[in-house]
Amino acid sequence: MKNIVKIAAVGAALALPACSSVGGDDFGYSDYSLVRVHRIYVGDRSLSVSAPRPWNRHRPIMFEDVRDVEDWTLNGPMLDGMSFVTGLQSGKSLIRQRRTTTQQVPKFRSDMTPPEIAAMIESLYRVRGGAVDFRTLSLKPRPFLGANGFQLDYEHLDEDELWRRGRVVGAVVNGELYMVLLDAAKLHYWDATLPDFEAVVNSARLGRG
Amino acid sequence: MCWRCAQLSRRSLLVGGGAAAAALHTGVAHARVRPEDMVPLVGPGYRPTERDELGLWKEMDRVEEEIAGSNLLIDDPKVTGYLRDLIGTVGGPAAKDFRIYLARIPEFNAMMFPTGFAVVFSGLLLRMRNEAQLAGVIAHESGHFLRRHMIRSWRDQKRKSDIFAIGAMLAGVGGAGAGVYLGDYVQLAQLGTILSLFQYSRAMEAEADAMGAKLIAETGYPPMEMANIWEQLIGEENASARYRGKHRRKGSMFDTHPSEGSRLADLKVDASEITIPGKVYDNHRARYLATIGSIRPMLLDDQVKLNDPGASQYLIETLAQDGWNGLLRFYEGEVWRLRNRDGDDVRASQSYAAAVAYPDAPADAWRWHGIALMKQGRPAEAKAAFARYLTMKPDAPDAAWVRQMAG
Repeated sequence: MKNIVKIAAVGAALALPACSSVGGDDFGYSDYSLVRVHRIYVGDRSLSVSAPRPWNRHRPIMFEDVRDVEDWTLNGPMLDGMSFVTGLQSGKSLIRQRRTTTQQVPKFRSDMTPPEIAAMIESLYRVRGGAVDFRTLSLKPRPFLGANGFQLDYEHLDEDELWRRGRVVGAVVNGELYMVLLDAAKLHYWDATLPDFEAVVNSARLGRG
Repeated sequence: MCWRCAQLSRRSLLVGGGAAAAALHTGVAHARVRPEDMVPLVGPGYRPTERDELGLWKEMDRVEEEIAGSNLLIDDPKVTGYLRDLIGTVGGPAAKDFRIYLARIPEFNAMMFPTGFAVVFSGLLLRMRNEAQLAGVIAHESGHFLRRHMIRSWRDQKRKSDIFAIGAMLAGVGGAGAGVYLGDYVQLAQLGTILSLFQYSRAMEAEADAMGAKLIAETGYPPMEMANIWEQLIGEENASARYRGKHRRKGSMFDTHPSEGSRLADLKVDASEITIPGKVYDNHRARYLATIGSIRPMLLDDQVKLNDPGASQYLIETLAQDGWNGLLRFYEGEVWRLRNRDGDDVRASQSYAAAVAYPDAPADAWRWHGIALMKQGRPAEAKAAFARYLTMKPDAPDAAWVRQMAG
């Protein structure tokens, strides 16, 4: 979900300059690690996908995030990002938040219908992503992981005054939420990353690794 | 500068620290400013002549240019024209010089910049119950300009702060002028520490309150509405904090505004002092609702989806004091649904059921009513509700999903 919390991502990146990559190779410390072009397990490792070309995975330690979520990017989180939600259980939320936080992302419940999940995602963008406008473009049924899933398309205007577009394909499987999200700047990056997203979604398989 | 700088500056202090601290005036007891003593210090067509003020205006012109071109502005000619007319009415001698912009930010705030342009947040329009209240906030902001508060506090600060801090602040204003992160209300309010540039003293805020009360009373609005706004804001913030189990900070030594209680008390005394017995005052509620009616669903939507149930519920109930309708009942249901605690599904479904009984129920109320009925195992009624939704909104983005449900 850190792809969505873009401003926070920038802040953290600026705050930790010492953590940038050393030598640009596999050793040293980097905020990103390479996603290679073969089947890999994501999130809590209950879902596997294969990307059509190399992507970059954020290290999970930098951001407050839940272990069921994994974030990728191709050109940096301000421009594009793909996120995986894997096996989120009822009563949990997409992002870590304090009980006393004034504005909260609603918790997931296993009996949620697609419009309710869509509303939860919208609140995530508005509450944590700083979206000032969020428009649902379409919500329709789409099989995912062998279940009756859904596809949500939307666009949002963020506080950096950039319009971004997003697509979520997801399903509730055995009471747990599985989703793949794409979020990219409407100009260029959306079109440039959508085929990757579709390939990843179509490659998604359940099963622990 | 802005209606609720106290809250914002506390936040920016926590976040930014440093520069803002130099500007803080600690809690000094203040005497109430009498509205009748508030004489405008600028006339129509005011232009600066002194060098420092000229420089400040130049910077601010850049900021205005950025704001005027921001795509966060709500470009509804009816509403923006209405705001222009309003500031043209309660703006005192400078009324015709003011510019006013409406930004889509779901927070309660409005601010006046030193060159005479104001930015009103859409969240303010949601919270005002009538035209008199909106006029009150705008008149308060006009008061800051008419009493030349920006340049007075700017000079005051330059005297107190070291030159590097001032330089950093100006750089911040310039950076803000580039339009970065304008949408975050804290950022906009700061415009790169702009708040700390124009940190008003308690006395100045008291002046703006008194000036505002005078301006609206002169134009025929009931001056007591100024106090009502403040009462509503305090109520909302208390409700929000209480819900999340927090205690609000009240009246600390860092407060630059008059403390809540004394501000409210002063506004009430102001109102009773300038209300002329026998004179007819009109809050123009009908005209207000007719003007913002078209964007009210959007305003409610922006607020409720922030999932701040305490504040949203308080706001809806406050607006409902003027009568419940389908729109308010629907959003009451949305507050419960997003809150998502045990039993909230039942509460939400009751609100949706109540909403659809009103003729003005929005299409979305029918959809959520249908979903609630479906979950309750009442498929026939759910189908009827979905059918109604699709009739009202045939091009609904989720029509494909709803059609599948409606079978």
